[in-house]
Formats: sequence, structure tokens, C-alpha cells
Amino acid sequence: MTGGDEMTGGREDLAEPGPGPRDVDLSRVWLGVAAEVWRRRPGPLERLAGWLLRSPGLARALVTTPSLLLGWIIATVIVLGAGILATLGTGTPFVALVAPAVAAAGIAYAYGPGIDPAWELSCSMAVSDRMVLLTRALAVFGLNAALGLAASAATGTAASVTFGWLVPMTAVCALALAAATVARSANVGVAAGIAGWAITVLSGQVAAGRLTAAVTDSALILPYLAFAAICGVITWYASRIRRGTP
Amino acid sequence: MNIEITDVTRRFGRTKAVAGVSMEAGSGVFGLLGPNGAGKTSLLRMMATVIPPTSGTLRLLGRDPGGYGPRKEIRRRLGYLPQNLGYYPGFTVVEFVEYFALLKEMPAARVPAAVAAAVERVGLGSKAKAKLRTLSGGMLRRAGIAQAIVNEPELLLLDEPTAGLDPEQRVTFRELMRDFGQRSTVIVSTHLVEDVGAACSQVALMDQGKIVFYGTPDELTARGEGTSAAGDAPLERGYSAVLAAARSVTAARA
Repeated sequence: MTGGDEMTGGREDLAEPGPGPRDVDLSRVWLGVAAEVWRRRPGPLERLAGWLLRSPGLARALVTTPSLLLGWIIATVIVLGAGILATLGTGTPFVALVAPAVAAAGIAYAYGPGIDPAWELSCSMAVSDRMVLLTRALAVFGLNAALGLAASAATGTAASVTFGWLVPMTAVCALALAAATVARSANVGVAAGIAGWAITVLSGQVAAGRLTAAVTDSALILPYLAFAAICGVITWYASRIRRGTP
Repeated sequence: MNIEITDVTRRFGRTKAVAGVSMEAGSGVFGLLGPNGAGKTSLLRMMATVIPPTSGTLRLLGRDPGGYGPRKEIRRRLGYLPQNLGYYPGFTVVEFVEYFALLKEMPAARVPAAVAAAVERVGLGSKAKAKLRTLSGGMLRRAGIAQAIVNEPELLLLDEPTAGLDPEQRVTFRELMRDFGQRSTVIVSTHLVEDVGAACSQVALMDQGKIVFYGTPDELTARGEGTSAAGDAPLERGYSAVLAAARSVTAARA
């Protein structure tokens, strides 16, 4: 008795070919299996972002932003932690001076033309490339602002100083994003942001005799906001004109 | 007609990359041939809605890409493989294809099955979970093709799709193009004349920003018959003959 006979009990009518496994489209079955095995299941953060933004594409773009990945966030926390220690040790509000530069670097690495390797492809997608850029920049800015505020609170700095650096941070981040977009290089954006902030801080030292003038002088708020607006326009313009290869 | 282009030009500073091109295309595989700098990539980028034309009118899938809403609708139905496709080195093949499927606003529930089908279709099933940085140039190109076809596009634009593919993969890819051409418009920009001869029903030859020939591959071949045009294959001789004729006309006008 063969194995097949054992399965059918020797009855030939049961061995007749019918609508059984022979009719199964194996490639279709495999695709179903592959889809389940290969799929990337979104984590809670991505699901929350998808729900808030009402776009799974934007949510995926957000959670894959380099400056929102865990390594970058840990680096930011370490830098601000050093700022806390320096502030507590010297009495100078170093957190307020360091936070804008850290955030500017994060914004420059938030992806954009020249930074995103697949930018050309992103420009042909239904989810607008500018919407991706804007969402990423806002998320990076928001996260860094929250970390900076927490660091300021840890040093016991007065509320006016704590909020004093948020406006300059906006301006420095806008500068970093504009430079990165125009130069099509994240590193240029980082350099411009840090250099711009260093010049501002040192100018405050020269003009007012205080290193912290850049974050404590309320007369600077309007110029900071105007500068941020100009940088925003530059970013918009630079991402509007697509340079190409003829 | 899925593509209607009327007197389109595109400038980059002083350079006129596309100089008054008009063409129409329905279903089928269309080859875009021409030497380097002929304007093929610029024309393809305009069709992909990456850059707008400087002048002229462009209608894609019956819509005007100049408006935000129609452009978004076109992009949902579009597949595009750029000449220089950038990659996220840390992404796996599946993550890369899935990312662009989501950016094309495919319904999220349909994405895993569509990604699996696209990855299998380009023969990358065994590398589905491999990081892109570990893949060869040909495999990366196939990952790029997979993202282009993941949404079963009605308009598929491919810029040098067979660059880096070995002969066996090129044969398979031509079959894929023919398959898509039965229900979609496929535009293939290439330097490889044999790809056009094997897969395309229509061919346009561009030179100095203009279309200097539009017809079937057989008609292009016929242009080279009885001439001393350079080329190893009949289609190559047709290509060379048309280019030489176009350039002699331009020189005479100058």
C-alpha cells in the first residue's frame, strides 16, 4: 500500500483530483505570506503621528527623521546635561546659550533638498515634499524646545531667561534651515546656525559686556523674529526653484 | 491620452534644456532616445511633476499638473524612477518601497501586499530584509523600479532603468515594461537602443532639446537603410542617420 492509499483508505473516488491544493495559486499564497512577514509594523509613536497628521506617509517621514532618532536625542540630552552642570557650577545660564545651537543643528538635519538622498523622488510624491520638510522641522523644534525647557528648569533659571532663549532659538533654527536648503547641505546648515549664534552671543558680550545679553535683552526679540521670517522666506524660495541637470 | 504635451520648453538659466516639444501618448511603451544633454531627463522630470515647464502646456492623465489638487492626483497614479536615485542606506528593501508607497498615499491596508508584489516582481524577494547599503548597483536599481511600480501606476516614467542590470535582468525587465504597457503609459529614457527595439511600440528621438524623430522602431530602422550611418545594429544605424540629418539641418540654418 502506498502512502497515498493510506491517506484515502484505498478508495479511488477520494483520490480523484478536485478543487484541492492543485488549484491553489502558490505565488499568490506566497505574496500573502511575504506581505505579513516583511511588513514593518508601525510603533505607537508612528501610529499616534499618523492619527494626528491624518497621513501614514507623513507619519513615516516623521519617525525616520535623523534628528528625531534615539541616538540624536540622546546626544542632545547629553549636551544639555553638560549645560546644566556648567550653569550650576558657574552661575552663567549656559543652557540658554547652548540650546539654540543644539536645536539649529537638529533642524539642519531634518531633511530637505540636498540633505535627503531621495529628494528627487520625494518631489514626485503625493505627500508634498515641503509638507514633509515642515512637519519634520516643527517636530525637531518642538522636541528641542521641550528638552531645553526641561534643562532650564533643572538649573533653576528664572522663567524670563527660560523663555528668553526660545525666540533666538527660532531665529537660529530658521537660519540653519535656510542655509541647508540653499546650499543643499546639512553640514553647511549646521555650520551657519552655530556660527550665527556664536557671533550673536559674542556681539552681546562686546556691546553690553554680558555673555548672556543675546538671551536676556528684550530689545532683540523683534529683530530675532524678523530675521526668522526672512530665513523662512528664503527657505520657501530655495525649495520652490528646483535646480536640475539639463 | 495619458500624456499631452504642447510646445513645452524648459530653461535652466541660459541653457534651454527642452526647446518646444509636443507629443501625445496613450497606453504602450514609449522609448525616449537621444545623446547626453538632449533634454530627455528634463522632459521626464516635467512629466514626473518634479519641475514645471518654463512655457507650453502639459496635461498628464487628463489633468493639469499646474494645480495643487490635480498634481496630487497625478502623483498618486504616477511611478517615477529618476536617473540618479538616492537611497536611505539604513532602510531595508521593503522599508524603502513601503516608505514611498505611503508617500504616494496608497491606502495603508493595501501597502504590505503591494510592496511584497513589487519586491517579488523585480526579483528581490531574497533580499527583502537586506539593508540598501549592502546591495549591488543592479539590485539598488531594481529596488528603485519596485518603488516605481508599487502603486500599479497609470503613468510609469523610467530614466535609464536598465543601467547596472545584467543581460538576464534586462530581459526580465523588458517583459515587465511590456506588461505594464498593456494597461499604462510607460516612458523609458535610455541610451540603449536595443532596449527600445525589444520593448517599445513607439520611439521619440531627442537632440538639442527637440524631438527630431517620432515613430515606431521599424520606422527608425528604415531611416538607416541604404545610408553609411554608424552603428552595429539596424536600429543603431537608423538612430545615427536621424541624428546626422537633424544636425545637418541645424548647421545649414546656422
